[in-house]
Amino acid sequence: MNLDFVLYLVINTLVVIAISPLFVSLIKKVKARAQGRRGPSIFQTYFTLIKLLKKEVIYSPNSSRIMRVTPLVTMAAILVAALFVPLVFVPEPVGGIGNIILFLYLLALARFFMALAGLDAGSSFGGMGSSREMSISSIIEPTTIIVFAALAFVFKTLNIFDMFTITATAGQPATSTLILIAISLFIIIIVETSRIPVDNPETHLELTMIHEGMILEQSGRNLALMELSSAVKMTVLMALLINLIVPFGLTTTLTLAGILIAMVFFVVKGSILAGIIGLFESSMAKKRFFQLPSLFAMAFFFSTLIIIIAVFS
Amino acid sequence: MIVELFILVILVLLAGTIFPLISASLDRRFVRTISLSCTIVASILLGSLSLLNLLSGEPVFFFLYQPIPLFSLSFVIDRLASFFLLIVAVVSACVALYFTEYIEHMDGQSRRNLLCGCTNLFILAMVLIIASANTLSFFLFWELMAASSFLLVTYEYTRDETKKAGIFYFIMTQLSSLFVLLGIIALYTQTGSFSFSTLSVVSTPLITIAFLALFVGFSIKAGIIPFHKWLPYAHPASPSPISALMSGVMLKIAVYGLVRFLLNVFTPDLWWGVLILAAGTASAVLGIIYALKEHDVKAMLAYSSIENIGIIFTGIGLSVIFTALNLNNLATLSLLGALFHSLNHAMFKTLLFLTAGSVVSATHTRDIEHMGGLAHRMPVTSALFFIGAVSIAALPPLNGFASELLIFMSFFSSSFIVADSLLKVLLFICLALFALTSALSAACFVKAFGSIFLALPRSPESAAAHEVPRAMLIGPGILAAACIILGVCALQIFAIVGFAVPLPDMLLVSLLLIGMAGLTYAVLYFTASREVRVSETWGCGTLSQQASAEYSGHGFSEPLDVIFSAIYRTRTKNERTFFDQKNCIFKEGTGEIRLLKVFEEYLYRPIAEQSMKVAQCVARFQNGCLDTYLLYVFVTVIALIIFLGWFA
Repeated sequence: MNLDFVLYLVINTLVVIAISPLFVSLIKKVKARAQGRRGPSIFQTYFTLIKLLKKEVIYSPNSSRIMRVTPLVTMAAILVAALFVPLVFVPEPVGGIGNIILFLYLLALARFFMALAGLDAGSSFGGMGSSREMSISSIIEPTTIIVFAALAFVFKTLNIFDMFTITATAGQPATSTLILIAISLFIIIIVETSRIPVDNPETHLELTMIHEGMILEQSGRNLALMELSSAVKMTVLMALLINLIVPFGLTTTLTLAGILIAMVFFVVKGSILAGIIGLFESSMAKKRFFQLPSLFAMAFFFSTLIIIIAVFS
Repeated sequence: MIVELFILVILVLLAGTIFPLISASLDRRFVRTISLSCTIVASILLGSLSLLNLLSGEPVFFFLYQPIPLFSLSFVIDRLASFFLLIVAVVSACVALYFTEYIEHMDGQSRRNLLCGCTNLFILAMVLIIASANTLSFFLFWELMAASSFLLVTYEYTRDETKKAGIFYFIMTQLSSLFVLLGIIALYTQTGSFSFSTLSVVSTPLITIAFLALFVGFSIKAGIIPFHKWLPYAHPASPSPISALMSGVMLKIAVYGLVRFLLNVFTPDLWWGVLILAAGTASAVLGIIYALKEHDVKAMLAYSSIENIGIIFTGIGLSVIFTALNLNNLATLSLLGALFHSLNHAMFKTLLFLTAGSVVSATHTRDIEHMGGLAHRMPVTSALFFIGAVSIAALPPLNGFASELLIFMSFFSSSFIVADSLLKVLLFICLALFALTSALSAACFVKAFGSIFLALPRSPESAAAHEVPRAMLIGPGILAAACIILGVCALQIFAIVGFAVPLPDMLLVSLLLIGMAGLTYAVLYFTASREVRVSETWGCGTLSQQASAEYSGHGFSEPLDVIFSAIYRTRTKNERTFFDQKNCIFKEGTGEIRLLKVFEEYLYRPIAEQSMKVAQCVARFQNGCLDTYLLYVFVTVIALIIFLGWFA
């Protein structure tokens, strides 16, 4: 482990924590504007998080240790997963950090704990959220793995760092493949971060909520951790899409100027993507839960198409 | 050194078998404790000998006794054998440790002595199978294993459920033996010897038949779909430690058989690999889909064993495919994945069966709908089960993930090495299904852990449950530690045994996880409010929370039930009678939704009915009358004389 890598750990973690609430607010803002409202300030998520940190934590008497460790484990797993996707600076990979399968399963680790915490208090809302979350994540899994396998196939590597290095320095694969990868990754972002049409992050209504239902029992600093970790997760998945498709600005050498420029580029690109996500959400209606498999089948079709094009061309 | 140790292991296990049998009428604790101590001692010896051999890598060959010229009791312990011996050793030691306490809470008075003896015999049979140096002794010990495990399954023979399971198991296990014997005979006809020697000929129809017969035989024993049906019957019926032994070790013996024959005897064709891969993937997906639906905790674990055996077969299939394509690095990688998963599955499945056994003995039910709230009542058991659940759900950094990652990586890497496009598409399809499997197993174990341990107790028995004695915690505790070490230090362990695998450094990842959690905690400690209150949370205005309003296990898996309804095949029955002719005034009626047992109703039963028909035809010849039998003998002798006179 060299100095570059240690610096990378620090920079990446700080950047992702600092930026991700901004993107969450941006999406909300875009959605509000699309609906003809003014919407909250783009710094609202930061204020909410700070407010939550000041509140006390309430545990249900039925809840066990799972409830108490889940926020920490979730945050840790998501932050480690965030290390697998360089936002602004790509170092040499160390010890298999950046392995695309391990990245996926770190997200699964966070989800596993969150789902158990949903069941822990014994409230029926939490159970419903957990059940739906695990169902959705199970049936989207083949699509996700096929997209990731397609990435590995296109870039001939299993490591996200190497993929980014290739796109940033050596040039990108053919446009057709790139578009298909972008579509598939976009669908994965929508599903993994619980957005319309899969889930509605705004409501606490019984019929629509999945992710929000699962974390309904959380409060105070624990809720802040859950909110922040889901924001970080979204940013990381967005970064995966951005740095593969529009990698300009991404630096592979460690210089202060390079990193600052890369950071500005990343914020701009991320804000544009957040805007697109907001518009996409505004143009969609929440789908009925049992219609989701057909949506996922479509995503699976796109991801398989990448492979078929890549294999037979 | 290794030979002496091995003979000592056999002797100790024999002592453990015979001692409780000669004192069978003595219902004393010390008889059973001594017998099980023999198991533990033998396991420790076995473990050290296999570790010694695993590290040195020198195959040891020795032979004990030669009753007839063609057949000798000879043994060989090479690295493959010692790897599987290690699995047997670790699992047996932990199970025996757990058993010393568990057996005292069982019914059956002095019959329990026989149970101990049989357990020793069962372990002995498995050890001897692994060490066998020729196919004939392999088969003999295979039969010994089948017979002793049948006795173990039918321990509670008075219960109807056990009787049915016992008969089912017996038939399936004998079918398995039959196919293995067929394969061995076919090999003998081809080569003229019973030794595990590499065939010189590439492939003849006879060799293909031998492979197929052995594959079916091992698949039945391993529980590959569609030969899996005995598992969900036999596991719930037998005592929990026995289920743990059968699922943890016996299934691996079948894996061992397959790997041994593939590596040492056959030169596999490509389609063999495709066959094994297809069977493995199908078992993995269907196994976990059925496990999701199950609410008997032990049947659920049995289905999950089917899934994991499917994963192991997937790895073996990949390895065979890559060997046939001359991609030796990838072949080694996927075979290592399969073998490592065998070890890992032995660890976490034994752990889960033992802790499930503790839960069942504390709550007196196997139905997870009647459990709940046990995390407060059985804190250590719940923590141990949790480690098992995280491992089996293939989550980093525990061991289930490490081995599945190896298989995932061979899938991923194959995509840019394998040249054949069609094969590539097949590999991608299998990869997608494989990913579905591991995601569903996470869902399945969230359901299991949530229903068993979290929220409020859903039955008075569950509310009154308390923690099990210490001996029943140590055994699973060792296994839980093994799960953590095998996962976190996977890369280092592979380096010690001399394989450079492209695994990520899980130790680094675990350190990062701990570091991030510590940092988060520290930041919160200094910035956030530290106030904590335990109070009723919002439950939609109800005065107090009711266990009946909780999300049940059934409710949890309902969305997946609906999504996979085409696979579950439910039958809805609705019969109503009415008072009037226009069907307006309802009189009475019954309605039921029944899960169709697809394999049983469309595969097993037709075959069973056909064989019953054949049996009835044959039975006509057997009228029980001596004269008729004399006539048969007479006719046979005449026919023989004529045959010999004309043709010889």
